[in-house]
Amino acid sequence: MKDIFFDLSVRSVKLNFMRSLLASIGIVIGVVAISSMGMLGTNMQLIVKNQLTAGINTIVITSDVVRSEPGSFGTPTTGITESELNDIRDMAGTNKVIPIDRTNTQFSIGSNDGRGSIMGLDLTDMKSIMNVSEGSTPRGESDAIVGATIASRFNLKIGTRIKIGEPNISVTRPVVRVVGILPTIGMSSSNGINTDNAIIVSDTWYSAQYGGDKVWDQVNVNLNDVSTLSAVETAIGNKVNRNKEVVRISDASSRVTSVSSTLSSLTTFILAIGSISLLVAATSIFNVMMMSVSERVQEIGILLSIGTEKGEVRRMFLYEAFILGIIGAIIGGIMSIVIGYSVVSAMIGNTAYFFLPESIIYVPAGMLIGVVICVASGVYPAWKASNMDPIEALRAE
Amino acid sequence: MSEVPLIRLADVTKVYHLESGDFVALDHVSLDIMENEFVAIMGPSGSGKSTMMNQLGILDVPTSGNLFINGKNVAAMTNLERTHMRRDTIGYIFQNFYLIPLLSAYENVEYPLILKYKRRDTSGKAAAILKSVGFDEKLSAHRPTQLSGGQQQRVAIARALVNDPKILLCDEPTGNLDRKTGFQTMDILTGLHKEGKTVILVTHDPKIAEYAHRTIQLEDGKVVAS
Repeated sequence: MKDIFFDLSVRSVKLNFMRSLLASIGIVIGVVAISSMGMLGTNMQLIVKNQLTAGINTIVITSDVVRSEPGSFGTPTTGITESELNDIRDMAGTNKVIPIDRTNTQFSIGSNDGRGSIMGLDLTDMKSIMNVSEGSTPRGESDAIVGATIASRFNLKIGTRIKIGEPNISVTRPVVRVVGILPTIGMSSSNGINTDNAIIVSDTWYSAQYGGDKVWDQVNVNLNDVSTLSAVETAIGNKVNRNKEVVRISDASSRVTSVSSTLSSLTTFILAIGSISLLVAATSIFNVMMMSVSERVQEIGILLSIGTEKGEVRRMFLYEAFILGIIGAIIGGIMSIVIGYSVVSAMIGNTAYFFLPESIIYVPAGMLIGVVICVASGVYPAWKASNMDPIEALRAE
Repeated sequence: MSEVPLIRLADVTKVYHLESGDFVALDHVSLDIMENEFVAIMGPSGSGKSTMMNQLGILDVPTSGNLFINGKNVAAMTNLERTHMRRDTIGYIFQNFYLIPLLSAYENVEYPLILKYKRRDTSGKAAAILKSVGFDEKLSAHRPTQLSGGQQQRVAIARALVNDPKILLCDEPTGNLDRKTGFQTMDILTGLHKEGKTVILVTHDPKIAEYAHRTIQLEDGKVVAS
C-alpha cells in the first residue's frame, strides 16, 4: 500500500529541497561522527586486546623467596629449584614448561656499550619457541640470538660478536656470536617472553657465566588450551606452594582486563563527543520541522477540516522527519565506512579489525540512532500540527 | 422529505471569549434544515454567517444549546467521531477552494476516499467524478496552482462529492470567480440538489441566493427571517 501521507511528506521534502538537504547534512555529520568514533575506539581496543591476549596462554612462575643455600657462603639467591621445577612439570601435564634464567647485563659490540637482558634457555626449548626472522637458532654453546630492538640499535648482523659484562680493562669478557635475529614482538608475545631487548644464550653458557645451575629465575608454562589456564594455575599452586608460598604464579589476564576497561571507557568518551554532533543535528531537524509546520498551517487546516484524523496529520510530519533521517543516515552510513576506514588507518595504522562485526556494527548503529533522533525531533512539530484548530488554521495565509 | 430534520439547531449560542470581552456570535439560534433542502444563509458581515458555517461543518461546537446532524448530538461526539462525520456526511466547498497544494487535481479528489477507506482508490470513482465536472485525465494531473479559479472550484466540488455526503456546505462558492464561472458553478450545485443533496449556501450576493429555495437571514447572531 502506498500511503498518501508518505507521498505528501516526500513532496514536501522535495518542495523544500535545499532546506531538507541542509537538515539532512546535520544528520550525516552526526552519523559519521558516532560511527567513525565508535569504530576508532573499537579498533583500538581490538588491536591492543589482541596483542595482549597473545601472551595470555602463558603462565609465568617466579620466585621471590630469598634463600641461603645450606653450606654455602655465597650471596642469597632467589630462584626456582629443580624440585619445584619437577613439581611444575608434573602439574603442567602435556603443556610446555620452559625454565628461563635471566638477568640484566652490560655488553659491548665493538666500541659501543649497551645494556639489556640476557636469558639462558635450553637449546631444545629455544628451537621450539623462538622463531628467528634471520639466521638460525643456536647450535653451539657460545651462539646467541638477539631481539629486534637490540639488533637494529646496534646494527647487529649474523656473525657479530658481543662481549658480555661490564667493560673492565683488567678482565677478558666472554664473547657470544650472533646466529639469529628475532622479529619485533611488541606487547604481544606468543611465548610470554619479551625478547625485543634481550640476548638469548644457551642455559649451559649462562650457568657457566652466572652460576645458578639447577636454579631458574622464571618458569613459563605455555598452555595448549587457554581455557585450562586457571585449572593449571591452581594445580601448580597447590603442589608447589603446598607448605608455604615459594613461587608467584601470574598471567596476563588481569593486565588485559584493566587495559580493556580503560580503552572501553575511552571509547565511551569519544562516542559521547560524537553524540554532541547528533544533538546539534537534532536541533536543526527540529527547526526544519517547525518551519515545515508553520509554512503549511493552511494546508493542515484543509486536511483537518475535510476529515483527516489527527493521527494521520501526525503521521505525515513524522514521515517527513523520517525521510530526512533516512536520507541523512544512508549518506552518513556510506561516508562512515569511508571516513571511518581512513581515520582508523591514519590514527591506528591497522585496519585488520575494521570489518569485524564488533567494529562495523557502529555503521548500522549510527544510522539507526540518526533516524531515531530525527523522528524524535519531529514528534513535537507533528503533535503541534495535529492539534491545530482547523478554523484558525484555514484562516492563516 | 423525512420527518426528522437532517440538521437541527436547538437554542444554539456561540460565545467567543476575546480580550475586549465576550462576543456573542450566535445568539439562541433554533433552526431545522430538512433533507434535500437548498438553503441560503445571508447576512451582513459580522452577522454570524461564518460562525454558523463552522457549526454546521462541525469544525466547532456550540457554547450552549444543541446541534444535531443526521440525528446525532455533535457536542456529545468524540473528536474522532466528529472527524469521521466531516469526512463522510459533509462535503465542503470554500470560497478559496482550499485544494491541497502538493497534490494533483486527481489526488485532491481521491484524497477523501483514501481517508475513508485507508487505501488508494481503485474503483475509478475519483476519475468518474472529475469527468462529470469536465476534467479529463490530462487536466486531472495538474497541480492546483496550474488551474484557473473556475477549474479549481470544480475540483473542489468533485472532492466534496467523492464520499457521497448528504450535506454540501458552500461558503461563498462564487466569491473568487467571475460572474460567468460563478453561474456555471451554481448550475452544478443546482444539479446536485436535484440529485438529492442538501445544499447549504452562505453568501452575501442576492443573485446567488436566488438559486436557493429558502433563505435564512442572520443579523447580530440572530435569525431574523427563515
